[in-house]
This record gives sequence, structure tokens and C-alpha cells, in this order.
Amino acid sequence: MLLFALVYGYSAAAQKNEIKVGIVAPEISLPTPQGKIVALSSLRGNLVLIDFWATWCAPCVQEQPELKKLYNTYNESLKKGKKLEIYGVSLDSKKPAWEKAIQKLDLKWTQVSDLKFWTSPVAQTYSLEGIPYNVLVDGNGYIVALNLHGKELENFVKASLEEK
Amino acid sequence: MKKLAQQYGFLFLLLFSVTIHAQVKQEPWTESQLMATQELADKINEPGKDKPLIINIGPQAVIKGSVDVGPGKENTNIEKLDKTLSKVDKNRQVVIYCGCCPFEKCPNIRPAFNELKELGFTNAKLLNIPRNIKVDWIDKGYPVTE
Repeated sequence: MLLFALVYGYSAAAQKNEIKVGIVAPEISLPTPQGKIVALSSLRGNLVLIDFWATWCAPCVQEQPELKKLYNTYNESLKKGKKLEIYGVSLDSKKPAWEKAIQKLDLKWTQVSDLKFWTSPVAQTYSLEGIPYNVLVDGNGYIVALNLHGKELENFVKASLEEK
Repeated sequence: MKKLAQQYGFLFLLLFSVTIHAQVKQEPWTESQLMATQELADKINEPGKDKPLIINIGPQAVIKGSVDVGPGKENTNIEKLDKTLSKVDKNRQVVIYCGCCPFEKCPNIRPAFNELKELGFTNAKLLNIPRNIKVDWIDKGYPVTE
């Protein structure tokens, strides 16, 4: 019995951080540059792209104009109540750099960060091994895709929002 | 025809290896100037051992006991690095690290390592972080700043 409990406990712990399609996206609740706490779950009802990025990550910054294009196209609801939202989670450590980049890149979607670089608990929760990395979450909060970029991401968003 | 293909194949291989060689040669550090993470972790953990001067030249000082200089891509931080090292013995072991991204994507390590060389540090090391400070340091349970 003890052994069972041990083994069960161990496997549960091991699986705790497994991020995969089909599970509910773990909650993230972090401050915006203005200091307002915004929860990932507050965006429920939309297709949500969680974009893990940082201003010190060149490929992440390069991807922002593409995300902007996607956001501009699909943030307008294609069918009732369903649109794309982006939840940008930055692994920056210095607030001025983060704020400046958001302004310069003119990013209109939700931006949050605990300014803890790779020590951020969210990097553990989502088992991040590198950025850019993203997670797509459906209207009910379930993960529907992991780490799609470029045309693949665009096609997925298009298909998700135009279906049925 | 076959002979021609072989000749071209050889030429291609030659060019390919020259390119690779050139790319390797471009790095300011040599293989022996890379320090393994395990080695640094041991040096930090072992009491009384001659500790190197550990300097963060990336976004945040994650490693226990390291001095925070800031991203090496910024000139002001290279000046900070100069200041930090101004009274340090040129023969002391100095280990710099960033850990934002894999080496090929990191904008900070090259300017900082070049500066160490220019300043004449004979025992300059770059911490070998193949992916990032989370995967290669934090996740391994190595000592981090409180």
C-alpha cells in the first residue's frame, strides 16, 4: 500500500509539469507594465495564444510583427464570441527594456511579467526549455497546440476561428 | 561523368569543411576557455576552494555569488565590466556567463569575452551553457542567488 502510494505520488509529481495538448492550461496571473494583475483565465471564451518572449531574445522580437498581423486580422470576431487574444508573457528582468519594447513594437495585446528572467516560476510551470515558445488555448481553457510559428500558426488560428 | 561528380563532391566537401573551420575560428574563446557548469557548481559548493570571480554579463545574475554587470551587448555594461575588473589580479580566474539563449543566438558573450582578453586576463573562462541558464543551471539544482 505504501509502495503504491509512493509510486503513485512520484508519478503524479513527475506529471505535474507536463504541458501537452488536451490538458487545461495552468493558470498564470502576473502584472502588466502598469502593475495590474491579469489572469490567463480572464481571457476564456477566446482562442488564446500564450506567447513566451523577452526583449533580450532576438528571434522572439523578430516574431512580434507577425503576431501583430495575426492579432490585427483575428482579434476582430469572425463568428459570434470567438476571436484571437494574445497573452504575452515576458521573461525580461528589467522593466524599462520591457516597456520600451512594447511601445516601440506597438503591441496592443495583454503583456505580463514578473521580471524574473529564467528564474520566473512560470518558466517552471510551463516547463520552458527555450524561447520563443507558445501555447494555444481554446475557449474552454484547454491546450490545443504547442509551439506553432509562421505559416503553421497562421493556418491553425485561421482553421480554429473559421470552423463550423 | 562519375569522375566529374567525384571531383565536384570533393570540392564541395573541401569548401564545406573550410566554412565550418572558419566559423569555429571566429569565436573569441577557445575550447579550453569554456568551463563546464558542473565544474563551476563544484567550485561554488566546495568550502575554502579558491573561488573564481563570477560575473553575469546577461539579463540577470542567477548564479550564487556572481557580480551583476548586465548584458554585454551594451557599451555601458562593458564599461561596468572594466570597472569591476580594474583592481582584480590579471591571473585570477574570471568566469563570465549569460544564459539567455544558446551561444549562437547570444548577443552578450562575445563583446564581454573579447573585453576580458583585451584587458589581459590570462585565466578568462566562459561558462558553457548550451541552451540557457534554466535548463543548464537552475533545473540541475546548481547554486542560485537567494
